[in-house]
Amino acid sequence: MSKKLVNAIADMREEEALKLVKEMIEGDSDPMAILDDAREAMDIVGKRYEEGSYFLPELILAGEMLNQITDILKPKLAKLPEVKRHGKVLIGTVEGDIHDIGKNIVTFMLDVNGFDVLDLGVDVPPQKFVEAVEDFQPQVIGLSGFLTLAFDTMKETVEAIQAAGLRDQVKIMVGGGQMDDQVRAHTGADAYGRDAMAAVKLAKDWIGA
Amino acid sequence: MEIIGEKINGTRKRVARAIAERDADFIRDLARNQAEAGAAWLDVNAGTHPKQEPDDLIWLVENVQAAADTPLCLDSANPQALAVAMEAVDKTPMINSISGEPERLEGILPLVTEHGCRVIALAMDATKIPETSAARVAVIHKVMEATRAADVPDECVYVDPLVMTIGTNVQSGRIFLDTLRAVREAYPTVRFTAGLSNISFGLPARSFINRAFLTLALGAGLDSAILDPTDRELRATLRAAELVLGRDNHCLNYTRAYRAGLFDELDKG
Repeated sequence: MSKKLVNAIADMREEEALKLVKEMIEGDSDPMAILDDAREAMDIVGKRYEEGSYFLPELILAGEMLNQITDILKPKLAKLPEVKRHGKVLIGTVEGDIHDIGKNIVTFMLDVNGFDVLDLGVDVPPQKFVEAVEDFQPQVIGLSGFLTLAFDTMKETVEAIQAAGLRDQVKIMVGGGQMDDQVRAHTGADAYGRDAMAAVKLAKDWIGA
Repeated sequence: MEIIGEKINGTRKRVARAIAERDADFIRDLARNQAEAGAAWLDVNAGTHPKQEPDDLIWLVENVQAAADTPLCLDSANPQALAVAMEAVDKTPMINSISGEPERLEGILPLVTEHGCRVIALAMDATKIPETSAARVAVIHKVMEATRAADVPDECVYVDPLVMTIGTNVQSGRIFLDTLRAVREAYPTVRFTAGLSNISFGLPARSFINRAFLTLALGAGLDSAILDPTDRELRATLRAAELVLGRDNHCLNYTRAYRAGLFDELDKG
């Protein structure tokens, strides 16, 4: 493990981190070990965000660094490593709503906490969720929405998953804007969360990670 | 500058509860406090789903009007809800909002023309907020074509260039300011408004960002903003910035605000 790389990423020194990765590759370091370092750094970033010492911009920069490092490593890897992951989470902002900041934070935090996350983006129609459940086979679905209008499309999305006969194989959580148990009941979801850590905790409890 | 009081908004949890429980006192207090703090308009957003929205909006309108004389800014994308609320208002309201979305223009513009309202125009399409200033200006061209075709005078249109958080794009502030300046050049008599505090979402010490942004936006020509008028520090910044921009005859707004205690405990000399 390269403590230097972990710290460079975790402390947001982008140029230094990328330079280190390139040097390590040229020095025949194991690309897998570099990826592990990057993961560890992401973990630190996630913790600092939870504690309130890092903010939204640091999460975004961390995500960008991880993407760039993966791009540098890709040619060196026969295939992208099967990092041991807890399970799969499908996520998206439901139809009629385009708010994505909360969803993006949840995606990041699930990712650094060891979940495979497929993010369908914003304004996602129920049918697209259904198709993605069939293809991606997630254990957990996260429906996001900030507008009150989104509560109805969350309900429609849950119903569409039910109608496709897929409801029993997934757990569904809802989040965004104002959430409480009344809203959860309206949507037919299994649980709701108020922040990104709540989403991580729900996913861990359900998947048994 | 006109302050549009932002607090009566059903997407805020406490307000949603007041609407659901028909807690009139809570809503009336919000209306009164914002009016006393100098709001020129009170935004009223039920935030409920379309079936419920007309009833909720009328209930809000009636209670806000019972507590304050301030004209309302009816905040909904739903033409049906706006049409019924329009029948319940005492004073000609502002409508919040239209956008480049054709259904919204078709549904809402007739109301604006019929009642001679002012209207907020968002620089976005149906589902997308353009990333660049040029693309936002292009949307506004489309909207202005529609408002002019509907005989809405330019000075009744409040363009919102859209404030996105700097936390996800460090250029958000500049994109806003560039859009404002470009639209102002093309339509010298339109007005501008903005939901100010979005700028600092996800960042620490937000009040400093909000104040810096308000000052710069005023300098670029912002005429109004949707904000919390009970935030004294923000209002103090507003008074000072308008003073510096030469928009305060004989400094009277500033000195009156001082005498009314706006700067008490805030001024460090």
